[in-house]
Amino acid sequence: MTALLLAAGAIVAVGAAVATGARDARIASLGLASMLVATPFMADPLPGPLRVSFGVVAGILAGFLVFVAARRVPGRVGPPLGLRATLGTAAAGFAVGIGATAIALPRPGPEAALAAGLAALAVAVGPIAIPRDVFRLGSGLIVLVGGAILLLTALTGTPEALTGIAEGIVLVALAAAVAAVTGGTVTATGGTAIPDDMPGRRAAASRAGGDVR
Amino acid sequence: MSVLPFLATAIVGAVIATLLRGIRRLGTLVGLGAVVAALGAACLVRPDTPVSIGGGALAGSDHLRVVLTLCLAGGLLVLVVARLATWQPSAPGALLGGAAGIGLALGLAGTPPGLLGAAAATIAASALALASPAAPSRIRALARELRGATTSLVVGLIAAGILPVAAGAAARAPGAAPVEPAAAGLVLLGMALVVAHRFGAIPLHARVSRLADAAPSGALPILAAWLPAAWGLIILGWAPAALGPSSAGLGLERGLVVGLALATLLLGTVAALIQDEVEHVLAYTIVADAGVALLALAALDPAARDAARAWVLVFATTRTALIGWTIAFRAAFGTGRLRDTAGWLRRAPALGVALAGILVAAVGWPGLVAWDARLAILQSATSGPALLLAYAGSLGAGAAMCRLLVVGGGRPSAIVAGSLGELPRLPARPVAEAAAAAAATDGASSPGARASAFALAGRLRVLGTAVGRDARPMLELNRVPLRAFAAILLAGLAFLVAAGAFGIDAAARAPGIGSLSPLVGG
Repeated sequence: MTALLLAAGAIVAVGAAVATGARDARIASLGLASMLVATPFMADPLPGPLRVSFGVVAGILAGFLVFVAARRVPGRVGPPLGLRATLGTAAAGFAVGIGATAIALPRPGPEAALAAGLAALAVAVGPIAIPRDVFRLGSGLIVLVGGAILLLTALTGTPEALTGIAEGIVLVALAAAVAAVTGGTVTATGGTAIPDDMPGRRAAASRAGGDVR
Repeated sequence: MSVLPFLATAIVGAVIATLLRGIRRLGTLVGLGAVVAALGAACLVRPDTPVSIGGGALAGSDHLRVVLTLCLAGGLLVLVVARLATWQPSAPGALLGGAAGIGLALGLAGTPPGLLGAAAATIAASALALASPAAPSRIRALARELRGATTSLVVGLIAAGILPVAAGAAARAPGAAPVEPAAAGLVLLGMALVVAHRFGAIPLHARVSRLADAAPSGALPILAAWLPAAWGLIILGWAPAALGPSSAGLGLERGLVVGLALATLLLGTVAALIQDEVEHVLAYTIVADAGVALLALAALDPAARDAARAWVLVFATTRTALIGWTIAFRAAFGTGRLRDTAGWLRRAPALGVALAGILVAAVGWPGLVAWDARLAILQSATSGPALLLAYAGSLGAGAAMCRLLVVGGGRPSAIVAGSLGELPRLPARPVAEAAAAAAATDGASSPGARASAFALAGRLRVLGTAVGRDARPMLELNRVPLRAFAAILLAGLAFLVAAGAFGIDAAARAPGIGSLSPLVGG
């Protein structure tokens, strides 16, 4: 495990924790961007320059889209866990991943990718399992996908360029969807909380509200 | 190479249709035109030399052509039905975006790129359909879709990544070596979870029902039928090659999946039979058929995979037709509640014909692709009493449609009696009078002008003016019969697919590009 991989892994883990744990949505989006930008470097051997460049550009674009959404998030909305608790969770996930090097699995990918992936998955579970806020849910989903990409890299080795391109497309599409749903929620409800399920009949009400006759 | 023009057409069409959705008439025309253009490009997809992209490959196949053609043809007819009922500006963009993603997902070699493509398609189509106009129910549904697609992707990626590790380097060649049973079992359960969630198997069925409530009905075919079908095709194409050699040691895991499938088939049927809203009946017929998809996965058999590739087309096309029917039904009576629409067959016999056609296509009979493919899947995964249960449950969708017909045969309710019939109607001013009026307003009242009007060019001009002037009132007056006609076309399409038209059987058996490298990305 090289120092570069370890540093990139630490950036990913801290970025994932900030993305899901920061109270200020803009800071959370910056943490997300730093995580996504560092993710393409988590491979050994390092992929070609085209693949790395595509990953970095996709990460910046996804981070920018989430930042655009973050500007509309009311300041009073915060994550259920604080930043310190989330950083602790990420550190625990990272330590578990590094500890997995003791298991002699025939794994072609780097251990740092496994550690960073586990850290990202650990901090993403909370906002996804108990979704209360569309922005936090969206950030958690992007962190989850980033963590899964790192786990795949750790399990199967450096992905081919086509897989990397597809990963970038998914991340950007997800970030765009997060921006759209956050904007729509703020427009419709004035906040970013996910509206509760209404009891009783939903069909007629939702159609009348949604379809323009 | 033939996939690239389709992808370009569909993506550009989705962007333009989405940008113009705020302009009612132009948005409708451009949206439908873009779908027609993408349909034309989809018809040209064929098995050809794979295009090398970043170490991977993208290529067309006969099966991909059939999938895309049926998705867009059925989606187009549903859009027409929906446009004749209400205005749904986001539906064409969602259909095109989803179809482009399906083309990408099924055209790419390898399971991870395919799963990533399917997830991107689901995310894009859901966001295009549900994000605007914003409403609380749509926000809930979109959040649910994003969460479901992302978690399915993550589970699928990790499951696909575990296998090479568990089997060592030998597993990088598909089916080269059996995998350690514990790892193979875990992977099978993970993939079953993905299939169950995407199709809406019980107990993960809430997604489909909520989607039917919240999504624009014109976008439901892509969201509730074709995108799950794409996920299913990717996973069902991967499973026999990747897990087939290990199937002997997966008795418990396969039993669990079969148990979940049987519960889904039976409980989904019961749920479809007790629902009061036609949209919920539709949703639970989709839920019930998730059991067949799970059985196809549990079989881990190449023969079942080929049957599933044909069955998925029948499933998606019949559900698309049923979605079109529910739109026409709700628009005809102003409600979708069955207790308020007793006796609907008296006022809408053409809709009855369409529903009967969809019923026949969904159930089929021995010799039809719909029947044979479903039975092959059931026999591959089950035997004895389980096969009997699966067989009974697989007819649940047909039973639910029969119930709709039975309700329609009752005594007409007040709502039904007060609704418009399906007979075509003419405007109060006949077309001939309108033509004369058009000629008069064009200054043809003088003898010379009248003589010139009888010339060919003049006649065409007068006819064009009259038709243009009368088309809109004629359309407004005849929305009910036009919707019924489109529903019959949808039923006809579903029946053709069930009968094996369009070379479905051969396309389902032909190897796709996904089989080139099912384990490793690229």
